[in-house]
Amino acid sequence: MHPEPGAVLSIRNLSKLYKDFTALDRISLDVRRGEKVVVLGPSGSGKSTLIRCLNRIEPHDSGSLHINGQTITARTDLIRLRALVGLVFQNYNLFPHLNVLDNCALAPRLVRKMPRAQAEALAMRFLQQVNIAGQARKYPIQLSGGQQQRVAIARALCMQPEIMLFDEPTAALDPEAVSGVATIMNDLAAQGITILCVTHEMRFARHIADRIVFMDQGRIMEITPPGQFFTNPQTRRAQDFLNQMIA
Amino acid sequence: MTPVMAWFRRPHATCVMVGILAAMLAGAGTARADTPPPLPGFIHDGALTVCTNPTLPPMTFVNGTDVKAVDGIDMDIARTLAAYWHVKLTVTTMDFTGLFPSLAAGRCGLVASGIIRLPQRERNFDAVAYQDTALVIVARAGTHPLGGMAELSGRKVAVQAGTSYSARMARENEALAAAGHAPMIITAYPTEEQVVQQVLLGRAFALASQDVELAYRREQLHGRVRVIFTPPYPEYRHFALYIRKDAHDRALLEQAVATLRDNGQMAAIAQKWAITPDTTQALGATAPAFHWGTFFGALTSAAFMRGAFITLAVAVLSHLTAIAISLPMALVLNGRDCVLKTGLTAYVALFRGAPTLLQLLFIWNALPQFLPFFREAWFTPFLATWLSLSINESAYQVEINRAALLAVDPAQAVAGHALGLSRGQVYRHVIFPQALRIALPPTINAFISLLKTTSLASVISVQELLAVTQIQVARTFEFTEYYAAALVYYLAMVFFFLLVQKRVERRFSWADQYRAGTHAS
Ligand SMILES: Nc1ncnc2c1ncn2[C@@H]1O[C@H](COP(=O)(O)OP(=O)(O)OP(=O)(O)O)[C@@H](O)[C@H]1O
Ligand SMILES: [Mg+2]
Repeated sequence: MHPEPGAVLSIRNLSKLYKDFTALDRISLDVRRGEKVVVLGPSGSGKSTLIRCLNRIEPHDSGSLHINGQTITARTDLIRLRALVGLVFQNYNLFPHLNVLDNCALAPRLVRKMPRAQAEALAMRFLQQVNIAGQARKYPIQLSGGQQQRVAIARALCMQPEIMLFDEPTAALDPEAVSGVATIMNDLAAQGITILCVTHEMRFARHIADRIVFMDQGRIMEITPPGQFFTNPQTRRAQDFLNQMIA
Repeated sequence: MTPVMAWFRRPHATCVMVGILAAMLAGAGTARADTPPPLPGFIHDGALTVCTNPTLPPMTFVNGTDVKAVDGIDMDIARTLAAYWHVKLTVTTMDFTGLFPSLAAGRCGLVASGIIRLPQRERNFDAVAYQDTALVIVARAGTHPLGGMAELSGRKVAVQAGTSYSARMARENEALAAAGHAPMIITAYPTEEQVVQQVLLGRAFALASQDVELAYRREQLHGRVRVIFTPPYPEYRHFALYIRKDAHDRALLEQAVATLRDNGQMAAIAQKWAITPDTTQALGATAPAFHWGTFFGALTSAAFMRGAFITLAVAVLSHLTAIAISLPMALVLNGRDCVLKTGLTAYVALFRGAPTLLQLLFIWNALPQFLPFFREAWFTPFLATWLSLSINESAYQVEINRAALLAVDPAQAVAGHALGLSRGQVYRHVIFPQALRIALPPTINAFISLLKTTSLASVISVQELLAVTQIQVARTFEFTEYYAAALVYYLAMVFFFLLVQKRVERRFSWADQYRAGTHAS
């Protein structure tokens, strides 16, 4: 099986086991450049595991993964891979001992070997993009959840990735902050950044998704455009899931 | 009147000085005229190395504020012997209990420390007597003289630990028990002045010591004690110089001592150190008071500053070394199971389990017996202390490090890796700074504790603050003044490090929601 031509991200029969528990079961998915794909599914269905496999924070056990046409294996240069694929964690995981600016400038300085001034200028640019530049000198503990989320996004953007992975970026946010994150994602996609986002927020999903991937028990059940998924899901499991979410 | 008292009877200042000068000239003259006497085997590299515990005036003690300047009868004899053999004299001071192990380990060629000649000691070492003495029982002035040792039945008697008196008193107790009397209650203290202090405080009824020392002490004690009995122990008649067993060396040493006795040098030394003749006579007692002059003098003395500096140096060096070795140890212990991890677990258990003092004594006295490498001159007491406290402290520090590293959220490392940081960069820039904040308070705590543990090093002759204090107390009998001065030094050091802790903690304000802002701007 070969990666689809033009796909920035190609997943083929990808499986991940934790001992004898199958967390991901033969996942296949192609994502085009600049596309926004939202992954939905009940808790424990393997959404986070999938995202973590994509930048090899978790190595997969079988199947193949291609990014920009390059096959990702144990021998792949992880540092280059991670510069290509940014990840924003569900609970942000900002570095508490660094202020906002240093949080963002650390990886460019260490990984890209940028001089401090240049790394900070870069960081300021992305902090401005997510509208948080005013807090650059504050420490994470002094920020609200929504502000931390935006810093986490800026920190990942500072490595100027081509693919951004988001694990429940809206989990702890109020509706206003959620729409802020949606705006940022649309901006990023407009710049040609490919987005894969896990969420439980249905309105958010419908608002940003080009396609919805629905997962259950480590498997992809269906891949559909949002309009169709929310009105007319193809699988029984997706129907039940939607009913539960609305209820 | 004991034999020594008789010997000490005649002193007259000028007469003594003339005597010493004459004796020295005579000695030097003979030595220069004849071929130098054959050198015994315990003299190496042109140096006679003498070990002594300078807390037993007038035999061996520090006669001033410079703790390096050991004085007394023993030192005069050592000097005279070195001159006799035309060699250099090196004096090493240490705790009394360290003397014989050091002699056995080859760290000194000769022990001259006011030690009685005893058959049981002569089983392991050769002894050459150089001075007569007698064991005396001493009590506070005004106590009635005893008719015999049986009158001490049921009384408290203080003795210096490690000396032969406690063994002799135990034998006396057996005799008391055999006669159906209650035994004496014997308490042992590490230094002679503490033994005397117990009697002065009324905690002990009497003490066992030597007439020579009492003769010298009487001036400091202002007649507050007196000899109440001189037991007829024939074996407690001589002070001896000790060397490692060697018949040839012993003969040479005996010959040397005989020569010094014959040419009058011994007598001159004895006269020089005699104070007043009669220990049984009580002088007017003075009321004890706190002497501010002594206290401030100690505070500003070079000896105390040097002692404090050594205490600080030992503590800082040991702790830095401990931190350096405990950091990789903590990483291994937090990692996957392997042989190294099992080994390190045993290391931590061993060095946390064994008393620090035991480790110190082991490294200084026992290790050189297996590894001759550690007998060499470069292995100083300071290095031995540094080594053993580093090892000991690392076993505690590793637990602090481990807990601190484990307390950092593992998601932090994942976040670092996700940004493309290498393992080393993640440790250096993400995990260590956060672990440091957690480890700092317990680390400073451990350091302060270590700062005080350094006082153990006095046992192996490191002249740290407490050793200096004890030497000064032994010289002057002014307990309160010198203890207070030492306390001031310890407290000043501890408060300084608490201040450092406060300062450093301010750098960690990122963990404090309400203070983070002040530092950030
Ligand atoms: N390190 C691990 N070891 C063992 N099992 C794991 C591990 N990580 C995840 N799992 C299991 O894999 C399954 C998928 O977990 P995952 O975190 O991917 O779920 P999710 O879809 O993100 O759920 P949620 O919506 O609650 O975040 C779960 O059953 C989980 O228990
Ligand atoms: Mg999840």
